Formats: sequence, structure tokens, C-alpha cells
Amino acid sequence: MQMWLNASLFTSTVQMMAPLLLAALGGALCARVGLFNVALEGLMLMGAFFGVAGDHFTGSPWLGVLWAVVVSAAFSLILAFLTLHWRANEIVVGIALNFLALALTTFLLRSVLGATGAFYDPAMRGLPIWTLAGLQRVPVLGWLFGYTPLVYLAFAAAVAMHLFLFRTVPGFRFRAVGINPEAAASVGIRPARAQYVAVVVSGVLCGLAGAQLSVGDLTMFSQGMTAGRGFIALVAMMLGRSNPLGVILASALFGLTDAIGIRLQGFMPTQFALMVPYVVTVIAMFFFRDKYLRPLASRG
Amino acid sequence: MADQRLKRALEALLHPLAAIVLGLAVGALAIWAVGGSVADTYTQMWNGAFGSAYFAGETLTRAIPVALAGLGVAVAFRSGFFNLGGEGQMVLGAMATALTALYLPGPGWLKLLAGLFAGAAAGALWSWFAGWLEVRFGIQLVISTLLFNYIADLFASYLAGGPFKDQTGQGALNQTPMIEPSARLPKLSATSDLHAGLFVVLAAVVAVWLWFRFTALGYELRMYGSNRAFGQYGGLRESRMMAWAMAVSGVLAGLAGAVMVLGFQYRFIDNSLTDPQYAWVGLMAALLANANPFGVAVASLLFAALQTGGMGVELNTNVPMQISSIIQYVVVLLVSVKVGHWWVRRRRRQTQA
Repeated sequence: MQMWLNASLFTSTVQMMAPLLLAALGGALCARVGLFNVALEGLMLMGAFFGVAGDHFTGSPWLGVLWAVVVSAAFSLILAFLTLHWRANEIVVGIALNFLALALTTFLLRSVLGATGAFYDPAMRGLPIWTLAGLQRVPVLGWLFGYTPLVYLAFAAAVAMHLFLFRTVPGFRFRAVGINPEAAASVGIRPARAQYVAVVVSGVLCGLAGAQLSVGDLTMFSQGMTAGRGFIALVAMMLGRSNPLGVILASALFGLTDAIGIRLQGFMPTQFALMVPYVVTVIAMFFFRDKYLRPLASRG
Repeated sequence: MADQRLKRALEALLHPLAAIVLGLAVGALAIWAVGGSVADTYTQMWNGAFGSAYFAGETLTRAIPVALAGLGVAVAFRSGFFNLGGEGQMVLGAMATALTALYLPGPGWLKLLAGLFAGAAAGALWSWFAGWLEVRFGIQLVISTLLFNYIADLFASYLAGGPFKDQTGQGALNQTPMIEPSARLPKLSATSDLHAGLFVVLAAVVAVWLWFRFTALGYELRMYGSNRAFGQYGGLRESRMMAWAMAVSGVLAGLAGAVMVLGFQYRFIDNSLTDPQYAWVGLMAALLANANPFGVAVASLLFAALQTGGMGVELNTNVPMQISSIIQYVVVLLVSVKVGHWWVRRRRRQTQA
């Protein structure tokens, strides 16, 4: 028990939850304007690949993050265009985009980076760890520090989104679109514009999430490395009721589950340890059976 | 009258055909972008899919699990439910089939039949369970079925690597022992891997069509799928509709796994059903065919041809085989626009009801 409840468990929880939080915030913003964004997984994967590709070709992890964000945002435009402009079913498009992302990244991994399965370049630098003047050595609270800048950014993004949605006029309009687009349109708000913005911002956030996975945590890309995190983020968004602060708590729960799952690998068959996050996610879904996301998802 | 029907049939075909042509155009762009020869790549793709009796047989063989999984999706889709759990249902079905055929005492034909039944039952139960969770606890099908895939894959992987692992051969592979020859589905061809699972597909296509067309339950499901509010007004209960749609959908996905074990691999091999994405390709085929059972069979053959063709591309050119998947998903995205229109119309009807 001792080796479980130590500060490193908190540290790995924060590391695990950061990509989930970023992606879930993207999903939450979409949900707030009435879109169920199932493509988080694919957007993250694009981000993860282009983060590493950018890092490899430019030699700077920061430019890698930029590539990740730009490509992921561009990819999200396909989702926006097909669902908003052409009125395609968002779940069909989302699922197809997830698989297109998997095929595309594998295709590029092999044809452009010349690697099979995974790409790793020893010369490549990952994102720096910000220790904030050695604060991670502070006793008891040390686990709060010592992460890549994207981890801090994830929390900042949550707070910013909270302020935007609940403390600003454009945020109020965003929420109005999600609650009733016709009513919003009748007072001069353009629902489609808000929805486009939400989808592209979710693309940016998923790009950051993917970059955190590939150039933040590991400095490598492997085929399909998101491994369902986009779907877990989707549940984190639902569990947090699309409320940025709620999403932080939900992501923390799943991050903790991930961290515990890894530790459990020594005690039980690997497959059961790997199953933990998915099982906990299903169980978590018992707790939002009511409420407003129900119609959103069952619409598909 | 006949003219009218012909015209409608042509219109229904026009959209998927246009999507396929555009998909190939996007594929050509991708080939060109990585410095490949478009003409050569597509020639290799065609040869890899239909270039000889062997390759045509491989394409047909690959279409078998795809079509069964696709029919499963189509059944749920027509009834108004989104079953994204075909992969997990297929894997559990395959595992149940393998264990039944391995450990049930008795003659070969009994093991074969019991194996098919066990695969169908396992798929049905796993699928029905997700449906039950939605009806009973409001756990959304779209998410639960997705997550169930991971759980099912990992569980089957545990069984294949742990208690039921084949201890004889190469220790590295997670797989069960081989099923005895008398319990296998017969081969249909001396040159390729084509097996009698093809007849299971043909029977399933006709059965699904007949079921929706001529039975009361099929009619109810169709009604419920095309207009849920109307169906409920007419006295159809969601719990019953969901249970049937999901169970039958799971039966088909489970059968896909069962015929792969009994006709192709003769054992359960970890990852062998998930790596080729049979279930997902089936879902895409169901979308392309707009859930029409005959259309699903044709679309499955088309997507299977793309995939086997992709292997020809992989072997004979510098273009990676994923080019096939890119084309496939672009086609589906283009088709989704049409599906979307259909869905919007449906929703509009629903809100008016």
C-alpha cells in the first residue's frame, strides 16, 4: 500500500490527465454549442503525429507543437464543414475521421518518416519540463510542479474556458446556441459561426493534447498511440457536464485510474490492468444518466 | 412503373458511385504527394484484388467477416440504433467459438454447429448488454459500445495468452490450440483460402432482408428506426426494440468471428481480428450501402478488394498499403453527406410527429 499512495502517484495522475483534459475541454466547447464531437480521438492522433514530425523536421519541439495545432485544427475543419455545412451526421463523420486519421498517420509514418510501427529519433528533443525554480522539491506539494508547459496550459485553458463561458457576453451567446439555436438566431446570434469556432478550437486543443502525448511525455510517435483516450475524454466531458471545472475533476479521475492501472500491472495479468480505465469509464457513466447530454448523444 | 423503380434504383446508386470515384481521386492525390506513380499503384491494386483466381479468392475471403459485421451494423442502424461495438462482439464470438469447438466432446459436426451457435450467442449477449445498459441506466450506446470493444479485446487477449494458451508451438504468440479438422468449415477452393463461411454470409443477407421485409417484428423495428416518436406512439417499447436490434446485430458480429475461427484460422489468435479492422470496415460498408442488406454485401466486397489490393500495392510499389484505408474513409465521409441528409429528413419528421 505504501508504494501506492506516494507523491509519484499524484505526479503520474497529473501527467495522464493533461491530454485527457485538453481533449475533453475541446469536446465540452462543442457540446456547449450542441455538437457531439466523436472525432477527438482522431484529432489527437493527428496532433501526436505532427508534433513529432514537426519536431523532427524543424529541430524544435515548440515548432512541433505548432505543427500539431495547425494540422489538427485544419483536420477539424473537415468535421465542421461536413456536419455544419452539409448536415452530415456528426457521429458518422466523427468515426470516419478517427479512422482516416489512423490511416493517414500510419501512411505518413511510413512514407515520410520511413518508419514502421513507431518513430523515434534520438536527436529529437522533447518539450522541456518546467520546474518553476525547483518548486517540485517542496515537500508535500512538490507534485504540483515539474511538468511540461502544456500541462500547465491545460489547467489554464480550463479556467479560461470557464471564465469565457460564464463571465463574458460571447460565452453567454455560445451557451445560448447550444440550448436553443433557433432562439439564439432570432436575437441575431449566428449559430453556425459559433459552431465553427467551437469545432476549430477543439481541433487546437486536441492538437495540444496529441503533442503532449508525443513530444511531451515520450518524444516518439507510435501507430494509433492515442489508444482510445479520445473516447475517454468524451466521457470525461460528459461526466463533467461540459463544465470546464467539472471536466478537470472528471479528467483527474481518469488520470488517477490510468496511473493506478499502470501500477497494477505487477499484481495482475497485464490485460486486466489495461482494462481498468475503460471499465471505470463505463462505471462513471452510471452517474450522468439524466440531464442534458442524453438527447445530444442519443440523437445519433 | 418499372421505369420509375429503375430510375429510383439508379439514383440510389449514383451517390455511392460518385463517392467512390472522388475517393479514388483523393487517393491518387495522396499517391502523387508521396512520389508514387498513380497508374502503376492503381494497376497493382486491381491486380492484388482481382488479378488472378487466387487474389479474387482472397478478396472474397476477406469480405466474409466484413459483410457479416456490416450486416450486424445495418440491422441496428435500420432500427435506429448505433452499434459501434461490432469489434468486441466479433472477438468474443470468435473466442467462444474456439473454446466450444476445442473443448466440447462429441463428433466434428456437433462441435462445428455448437461453435457457430456459441459465437453467435456470445456476440448477442455482449451487444444486448450494452443495449440493456442504455435502456435501464441511460448509458449511451455510442460510448458504451466503443469502450466495450477495448474491454472485450483485452479479455480475449488474456484468455488466449493465459488459461487457454497453446503451449505446444511457438511460445511467443497468444493463441489457443488448433481445432480438429472434422470440426472446421470446408474450403471452397484449392487455390485460395475461400471457405464455406461464404454461405453463412449469403444466408445472413437473405435472412436479414426477409426479416425486415416480411416479419411483424422486422416491420416494427423498421418503423421504430425510421420514426421513433411514431413507433412509440404506436405502442412499441424502446426496451423491446433495443433488445432485439442489438441482440440480432450481435449475433451477426459474433458469427463473423465464428466463421473466421472455423473456416480460416482454426484457432483464436490474439489481434488477428482487430488488426485488419474487419468490424470497422463492415460498419463503413453498412454506411456506404445505407443499411441495405444486399448493398452491404456488395460494399463489403468493394472494401475487401481495396484492402487486398492494398497488399498488392505494398508488395509491388513504394506506396504503403494504408492508401486503401485512406480511400475507404474518404469514400465514407463523402457518403456521410447523403446519409446526413437522410438523417436530417428523419429528424424533421420526428419533430413534426
